[in-house]
Amino acid sequence: MLVGLLILSEYIFLEPYVVGHIPSGTELGFSLILIICMLSALVIPMNIFRIHILKSSKQKMSGGVFGTIVGAAAGACSCGPVGFAVISTFGSVGMTATTFLTNYESPIRIIAIVILIVTYFTTVKSLKTECRIDSKI
Amino acid sequence: MNKKGVILGVIVIAIIGGIAASLPSSEPESLSNDRLRGTISTEMGSPILGDPSAPITIVEFGDYQCHGCYNWFKNTKPAVLEEYIETGKANLIFVDFAFLGRDSPKAAQATYCADDQGMYWKYHDLLYSSHEPQIDNGWVNPERLKAFAFSLDLDMDLFGSCLDSEKYSKRIQFNSQQAREHGVRATPGFFIIGPDGQQQITGAQPFSVFKQIMDSMV
Repeated sequence: MLVGLLILSEYIFLEPYVVGHIPSGTELGFSLILIICMLSALVIPMNIFRIHILKSSKQKMSGGVFGTIVGAAAGACSCGPVGFAVISTFGSVGMTATTFLTNYESPIRIIAIVILIVTYFTTVKSLKTECRIDSKI
Repeated sequence: MNKKGVILGVIVIAIIGGIAASLPSSEPESLSNDRLRGTISTEMGSPILGDPSAPITIVEFGDYQCHGCYNWFKNTKPAVLEEYIETGKANLIFVDFAFLGRDSPKAAQATYCADDQGMYWKYHDLLYSSHEPQIDNGWVNPERLKAFAFSLDLDMDLFGSCLDSEKYSKRIQFNSQQAREHGVRATPGFFIIGPDGQQQITGAQPFSVFKQIMDSMV
């Protein structure tokens, strides 16, 4: 996911050579991507565990997935290939969406991080309750 | 009498139409046919920056509201200028691919209005130096575009009438069409055109990539 996001956000280029590049002034965006990826790496496996092993509800999983997708979408738009495809496909609606995601890129990513943090703590709390060994048995 | 009047009217209209058709179009006459670089027609693009007879031509497809284009302008272009353009090894042509927002085509048109007064590259550089990362937030609306022109001491009557008349809108459409026809799917998009072929680069890639490609062409 990290590599994918870095490619979409044009921090890694695959053609004509594989090269990584953090242009000056984009360090904040790069840091936010790293944080989103680290939190997603924590939250999503924990929720998959809850759903598959403990057969718990999928509600908390949706928070993690939503946060990840929103955080990823914010960086993937703008003038890159994804933004171009969205504008080409959806015309003025796509342009409005791209403009919104570009203009509010950092706030959207921060909101995504907040969602992921909240999901992390609620998942941890839920796992503590669900995985508690009953001492009476 | 009425019949004669109608015939006379038709003749007058035909003559006026003929005169109007024979007048030069609103596009500048300075555009030449020898601006084919590789497979790209750059005749509607910017003036050539650097030595026109340099062995390598860099064609940049860009949008003034694109933050990636600004990143390239700020981080990579100075080194390209210093090492390749000022030394006569390469030249640069900017071709508009104005797709990002409603202000993008207007900003592109404004550069050609500045070009009418011989100030294309100064205006181009000023736009990128004043770049704001938000799209359509007003930083390149018509008022600001005129303010940029004023700060460069351009003739404001000429510039204003040029911008308001949208006389270069077809030029921008032509340039954007060139980008689409050549498979440009993001800005900035580059074609490095050397004596033996051309190489496409997508995105605001670092100087090392440009150097590697251009050194292999020289």
